[in-house]
Amino acid sequence: MKKIDLHIHTVSTISDRAFTFSLDTFKRYVIDAKLDAVAVTNHDVFDGAQFRKIQQELSATVFPGIEINVESGHVLVIGRPSELDDFESKTTLVSQRITKIGDKIAVEDLIKIFGNLQNYLVIPHYDKGPSIAGETLEKLRPYISAGEVDSAKKFVRNIRDQSKLTPVLFSDSRMRVDLTALPTRQTFVDCGTLTLEALKSCLQDKAKVALSERDGNKLWQVFDNGQKLSTGLNVVLGTRSTGKTYTLNQISETIKSVKYIRQFSLVQQDEAGEFKNSVELRRSAFVDQYLAGLKRVLDDVMTVDLVASDRATSGYADTLLRSAEEADRRDAFSNATLFDEVEFPIENTKTLQDLIGSIRQLIENVEYRPIIEKHVELAALKQLALELINLLRAKILDVQKKQVVNELVKEIKRGLAFRTSAVQVQDVDFYAMAMDRKRVARFSEIIGFLKKEAVIFQETLQGFKVEAKKHPYAGAGEIKAASGTKLAFSDAFRKYDNAYSYLRELMQNENLPPADIYKLFVKISYRVLNKDGHEVSGGERSEFRLLQEIADAQNYDLLLIDEPESSFDNLFLKGEVNQILKAISETMPVVVVTHNNTVGASVGADYLLYTTKEVENGVPRYRIFSGYPTDKKLVAVDGEVIASHETLLNSLEAGADTYEKRRQGYEAIKDQ
Amino acid sequence: MKLLKISENLGQFLDANGDYSPIDKIGKDDLLRLVDRTLHDDEVELDAYDDQAIKNQAHQVIYKSVFQKLSDLRKRRQEFIDESARLFLDEYERYRT
Repeated sequence: MKKIDLHIHTVSTISDRAFTFSLDTFKRYVIDAKLDAVAVTNHDVFDGAQFRKIQQELSATVFPGIEINVESGHVLVIGRPSELDDFESKTTLVSQRITKIGDKIAVEDLIKIFGNLQNYLVIPHYDKGPSIAGETLEKLRPYISAGEVDSAKKFVRNIRDQSKLTPVLFSDSRMRVDLTALPTRQTFVDCGTLTLEALKSCLQDKAKVALSERDGNKLWQVFDNGQKLSTGLNVVLGTRSTGKTYTLNQISETIKSVKYIRQFSLVQQDEAGEFKNSVELRRSAFVDQYLAGLKRVLDDVMTVDLVASDRATSGYADTLLRSAEEADRRDAFSNATLFDEVEFPIENTKTLQDLIGSIRQLIENVEYRPIIEKHVELAALKQLALELINLLRAKILDVQKKQVVNELVKEIKRGLAFRTSAVQVQDVDFYAMAMDRKRVARFSEIIGFLKKEAVIFQETLQGFKVEAKKHPYAGAGEIKAASGTKLAFSDAFRKYDNAYSYLRELMQNENLPPADIYKLFVKISYRVLNKDGHEVSGGERSEFRLLQEIADAQNYDLLLIDEPESSFDNLFLKGEVNQILKAISETMPVVVVTHNNTVGASVGADYLLYTTKEVENGVPRYRIFSGYPTDKKLVAVDGEVIASHETLLNSLEAGADTYEKRRQGYEAIKDQ
Repeated sequence: MKLLKISENLGQFLDANGDYSPIDKIGKDDLLRLVDRTLHDDEVELDAYDDQAIKNQAHQVIYKSVFQKLSDLRKRRQEFIDESARLFLDEYERYRT
């Protein structure tokens, strides 16, 4: 097996964070990581002079390459070391096209530049961002040798899925002068010679790529000293203070996307209030989405002022009656027709616009076109749309004309009113007023629906059920809590039964952000129920949190759990926890630190790691011995071994003697 | 139902009791009621303004204005019905269940 890393940066470009290249670092990496082949792949640039120097100095095969920004993501194009001049001239064309952030090259242009891309190793970012997908991937597909991934989890996932490209895991690292921990992401290929052709042919066959040299995809390297982990379930054992938590911390620093459930973190939030908050927080997006409609309604209703429109009606009635009383005292100004002229009503064209939108949707819909055309002719729909659009245009023109006239009327009325003592009738828009009242009525209905008690969200998690329920607020205190302010809400709450009055009262409070008012109409509360449908107890809350955390782990590349036994009893550990850990380890690497024999011995680990601490001359030396559960011996990276049987009994059963005594004790009380 | 009527040389409106009152007695609440009925009732009648038929000058001024307002409103009745049916319709449907 050959170990390769074909994604390495040596030039700081506009797409990188600034770094200083060090050939010594590169050399150290190749030697310490025992690499057989590497590729230099800088962003949109190939530095021929630097490459030749690197090639001279490194013991491994060095391929010339480039990482190019194409339409939707990045792609590695790797050439033959024997055709450097040609590669250099082609990549110069790439550099000329990509000069600033955001520049990219179309696949067609890439083909124009490189000619037949089959002469190169083409490896797109695949299960790694920014990934190449969709149409761009399809255009590149005939030339692609493998797809780059960025974690062991994704590597295994792509290996297993026959429809996916052969995955390759590369470091994508910068050979910086200050690089301390060496990269651990490489791929092993079952390849005789390391030529471009041989690599291309190897990558055609998923069976010829692996995460480890001898253990296929069961193990992958996690630390730069060569320490490996299983791609399944790892159990870390060891006596107190031997560096188990330290090991987990180190893993979480080395791997980018890690879900780390720290020791006691599940019991710390056992308090009912905190627990509730965390349950609510995780689901706040759902509630926001649920109430988004109310927000839209409120944005509109908050502009409605029924008191003002009432005043306008009174003003109209009063001035009309007064002007009638004075009808015989009119002068030349007040006798002018325009003196009491009313403005043109302005028609709302939204209905028509919506209608045109709907017809347009019918015309443009591709998915259901056969059904649509079965019932309505497309030509007829187009005619209909055309007629409605013409009508809309006419209406809009009419509205514009009326608006001009209205402005004119207003101005003339003002001018006439200045010159006469006669009362001018104050105009009122009865249509707008009636519509506002409708708006308020509909709003009140909606709030009425919202206040009806009902479950609006349900989620099940391994027997637990999370339920979000809506119901009316029971008092001002609850509203205050929901507002997250220290304001008083007793006056507002007195009007709670009348949605519009309540809204106006809330709006009067200047310290209450209008954008938060939507939260104060209906209370949403959560319950977590156990298998029997009862609210969870303290212990069950911890269990629920664990399950929730583990469910969340699916979004990460690795799950670390530090001593789950610190939060649970053995029954729960043996039943649910072990089962869930085993299940999730089928899809991603899991590392569990434990002292507990229920977890350690019964979980069905794929790989064991045993930590030790030895003090030599006052300096502690931490070491990890590892192996498969069936191995008689556990081995450290330096080759030292310890006996598995004794080690397991010592760390899980407090030694062979204790284990034997305990076994005899159980034996003695067993029913005969 | 006739909301505005000219009778005995006077302008009259349909009051809250279903009787006809002189138009110069119309108030804010009467106007609101007439607006509601203009928009909601299927059958609405308004006697057209006629300055010959109404002798009282004050009645002429008031009747003319109210008649114009209500008849303009009546012309927009369908628009009002359509627009109000669509008010917050998505939200209404969403929260109703």
